[in-house]
Amino acid sequence: MVSKTEEDQLIRLENQVENGGGGAWEYLCLVRKLKLRLSDKVFKYGFALLSDPKKRSALGPEEWTLYEQVAIAAMDCQHLDVAKEYIKVLQGKFRESKRVGRLEAILLEAKGRWAEAEKAYSSLLEDNQFDQVIHKRRVAMAKAQGNLSGAIEWLNKYLEIFMADHDAWRELAEIYVSLQMYKQAAFCYEELLLSHPTIPLYHLSYADVLYTLGGVENLHAAKKYYAATIDLTGGKNNRALFGICLCASALAQLTRGRNKDDKENSELQSLSAEALEKAYKQQSPTNVSVLSSALRSLKVSS
Amino acid sequence: MGLGYAVGVVGFLILAHAAYSTIQYRSLLKITEEEFTGPPITVVVELIAGLFFCLWAALTVPGKFLSILPQSDENRVVALPSNLDFMIFNHRGKVFPMGIDMKQM
Repeated sequence: MVSKTEEDQLIRLENQVENGGGGAWEYLCLVRKLKLRLSDKVFKYGFALLSDPKKRSALGPEEWTLYEQVAIAAMDCQHLDVAKEYIKVLQGKFRESKRVGRLEAILLEAKGRWAEAEKAYSSLLEDNQFDQVIHKRRVAMAKAQGNLSGAIEWLNKYLEIFMADHDAWRELAEIYVSLQMYKQAAFCYEELLLSHPTIPLYHLSYADVLYTLGGVENLHAAKKYYAATIDLTGGKNNRALFGICLCASALAQLTRGRNKDDKENSELQSLSAEALEKAYKQQSPTNVSVLSSALRSLKVSS
Repeated sequence: MGLGYAVGVVGFLILAHAAYSTIQYRSLLKITEEEFTGPPITVVVELIAGLFFCLWAALTVPGKFLSILPQSDENRVVALPSNLDFMIFNHRGKVFPMGIDMKQM
């Protein structure tokens, strides 16, 4: 989870390296620790670091992790020859290594040779049947080939064995949402919320899915989860504030004509509208008029 | 931080001196066979002074306190890590032109 201080640190280091101030190694370490996918930057700075033999020897034993990180970034940027070169270097140092074998199979995947990659993964799995990363790569391969239902099948089988892997649950939820199977996606997000109840972004995604499903109970629940997100982020999450306004107006539309017990409903909506206007004034004052007209139309239609 | 350490040491010495004075006072009372109701006023003042010195040192020496609330402005979660285990390479980035650093090769 990337906190605000870590994000600020990342941006500061990025600006520093971009303007030639050194610190590329700290930047790459931070990206690796936060598990971010910034492949073009990682490739640019990592390639520069590794091509310079002086800087490379200054790294010591850490250069092999850097080789792995830059190889994956190179594959993401489609510089497959560079990736192949680095993998050969790693193979020369670590013969018969599972990790390097996995990298080779990922390279085959990046080249688009699905059948060979599948064979490589199966042979790697024969040695170690419970290798989590290889199972996940198989799911990714099915996803890359466009076979989303196959990916769901593999992922379900994986989750039967490794039920605590929250990344996999998140991936499954995202695949379900892309296929518009919202009830199943809601189930996956519930699993995520059970295991990590303090991460506000999971509450936000769950509230989004509930809002999409619609219906009075789902909208009430969605409003509660948006409120939880606002609580956990100290009110700085604009999407959750918008969510509350939309939920309140949708609820008002659905329950039009029933008895009006929506005092806290409208109070919550006006509070979040206020908070949104304050945030917009601070961050993008040119859009404040657009925001006010949008909020007004929400209230009018309710 | 040197000042904090020095103040802490001074506070500790003051407390130790107060303890020694109290023990001396008690032995004096034993000689004169009186009841020990409490340390004399000077020792109490010394104790309070020592307390404040030690408190100040304990708060300044460790350095800046980190915030513990998960919703404070520094600690709030801004983004989730991108799921690198499920990363696919079959994306639109394939058709973008090669980066400029190929000139270095």
